[in-house]
Amino acid sequence: MLKDIIKKEILETITSAKFVFTFLLCAILILLSVYTGISNYRADQKEFSAAVALNKKNLESQPSYQALAGLGTKINKPPHVLEAIASGVDEAVGRVATVNIAYDPNLVDSKYESNPVFSVFGALDLTFIVKIVLSLFAILFTYDAIVGEKEKGTLKLTLSNKVPRDRLILGKVIGGFVSLLIPLIIPLILSLLILLVYPNISLAGEDWIRLLLMFLMFFLYLSVFFTLGLLVSARTNKSSTSFLILLFIWVTFVTVIPKISVMAAARLNSIPSVHEITAKKDAFLQQIQGGSQKKVLDWIKANSPKQGEDQKLFQEKFKKFLEDFQQEATSKIDENNAALERDYQAKKRSQVRLAINLSRISPASALMFSTMSLARTGLDEHERFLASIRTYKPIFTKWANSKMMRNLDLSGTGQTAKVVLDDMPQHKFEPETLSKSLARTLPDFGLMLFLIIIFFAGAYVSFLKYDVR
Amino acid sequence: MLETINLTKRYEDGQLAVDHLNFKVEPGEIFCMFGANGAGKTTTINLLLNFIPPTEGTALIEGIDVTREPLRSKDYVSFVSENVMLYGNFTAFQNLDYFTKLAGKRGLTKADYAQALKSVGLQEEAFDMRTKNYSKGMRQKLGLAIAVIKDAPNILLDEPTAGLDPKSGRDFLNLLIKMRDQGKSVFMSSHDIFRAKLIADRIGFMKKGRMVMMKTRRELEGEDLTELYIQYMEEHPEAESQPPTA
Repeated sequence: MLKDIIKKEILETITSAKFVFTFLLCAILILLSVYTGISNYRADQKEFSAAVALNKKNLESQPSYQALAGLGTKINKPPHVLEAIASGVDEAVGRVATVNIAYDPNLVDSKYESNPVFSVFGALDLTFIVKIVLSLFAILFTYDAIVGEKEKGTLKLTLSNKVPRDRLILGKVIGGFVSLLIPLIIPLILSLLILLVYPNISLAGEDWIRLLLMFLMFFLYLSVFFTLGLLVSARTNKSSTSFLILLFIWVTFVTVIPKISVMAAARLNSIPSVHEITAKKDAFLQQIQGGSQKKVLDWIKANSPKQGEDQKLFQEKFKKFLEDFQQEATSKIDENNAALERDYQAKKRSQVRLAINLSRISPASALMFSTMSLARTGLDEHERFLASIRTYKPIFTKWANSKMMRNLDLSGTGQTAKVVLDDMPQHKFEPETLSKSLARTLPDFGLMLFLIIIFFAGAYVSFLKYDVR
Repeated sequence: MLETINLTKRYEDGQLAVDHLNFKVEPGEIFCMFGANGAGKTTTINLLLNFIPPTEGTALIEGIDVTREPLRSKDYVSFVSENVMLYGNFTAFQNLDYFTKLAGKRGLTKADYAQALKSVGLQEEAFDMRTKNYSKGMRQKLGLAIAVIKDAPNILLDEPTAGLDPKSGRDFLNLLIKMRDQGKSVFMSSHDIFRAKLIADRIGFMKKGRMVMMKTRRELEGEDLTELYIQYMEEHPEAESQPPTA
């Protein structure tokens, strides 16, 4: 009997106009989003390779180490193949940072900066389609699952037979969910095929696991809205009422809670502005620079060669002094900036964490955070990348200072040493491991399962007591 | 056989929908129940199908207490509602196949379904049509075909002829006569005195949840049923009444 109910549910859905419409729209949107995602990734890959090569060329063409230290090296964020599925914050945050001896590095030049109109509409990636479009379809498939049968009179006719209610609701859940998955699974399989056959796109073993986990999250997210639809359908007496209630909950989950959470976190846990931090950094820089001139003059006064003394020895001593002095000054600046930054970032992280945790009540937020973590395009990965650049900054500064001072021309001949990059320290960044990403997404998986169980249990109990008249 | 013993239903809002109702429908008998809207006819059917629990009393189908053994009792009853809607995207065959399987009947062929559909007078060209394109008469016939193929000894019909054109109404009643002649117990709630008079073996008037009159066909011979109905309804002017169609 269960098989018959499941079969009927599937058949009834797939022969309906709403299924045909859903299937076509899903196929178009999913394939389009994956194709666009892959194209964007390919473009990002090319852009990244070109930027790295250009940076190397720029550094090599610098006339002196002094110019190189001032100009700095550019660190580009490497693209990740899974951004084709979940672009995350990658398009909104910067992709390149300049590391020089003077300023604290920051990631700038985001895609949205390059073309602000994109920020108006956001990215049309697969996560967005599942979050917005498919969740709406889940509601469309279930809002009348029970109340609609009551209105048609088929529920009475069905239950006038020897049909246990628990089996009927189970059949409805399985059949309805399979019907909902068909418009999702077929285009997803086609998308995977595109990923497989697209030239120069390679997914490592770990990427496949991440991809499957993302698909699992999509599945759970849709299950949340599906079971919610059943619950509301089993608690109402009119399908129009059921649809309105579900639409209200959907809007609350998808747009209201995430936005309110960010605003609430900003109020509950306020942090200083970026301008305040920059002002503090500038004040310290000026303080160091103000004292530097006096210290150099004092050293020259104390150590300048007397008549008949060796000028060359003095110059060597002076170079050594300047190198040490410069190292000390930049270290102090770096330390101060790092301390300010650490403090600011800790406060910011705490605010962001609060916003994330508040918004996690919504399955839409949980979907976004988990898929971003799995695709390594989330806020955490961005912070980690920025932190790696900030760790690299003093290493680069030390190397640049050392090179600059050792090759300082005090002879007045105007000769400068050729820039050699062989021993220049390279920036290193290890993307987050799968186990860490998984640990980060566990609360989201847990939340989804919790909501599914609650909604399903609610729908089940409600249907057992449902007034079929 | 269908039977109610002191069957009573009082809703949560205090409304007494069925008040100590006692009747029996024997095999090979058509029992027609009349009454104004809200008299308790549909509630009685809902109680017999265990869609709602009784406040007091018992409803029996083939001697089985429907509250104690709801699933077993449903093996012995078929139900046809006022407005059979069915699954609009399914054809008559598909609807019939689904409900036949729910009734626990297996191994029936398309020919068996066609036979059942023909027996209720549905035109052959409609068998493969989606039922959303059916007229009300066609849907009622299909609803009856579902009851026919289930072949339960008891049939409950809730105002089945409402809205049917004269020919469809007559065809429908002929089918009920056929079922009665096969030995089935038929319980029908209706407003349609004119049509019911033609086939009913017994008639009951219901008012405010109580059976205020019950007479056999023989007892009603020579009586004007419409006048009788109005008379019974007016004896209790406080009751909401809707004159039956005649």
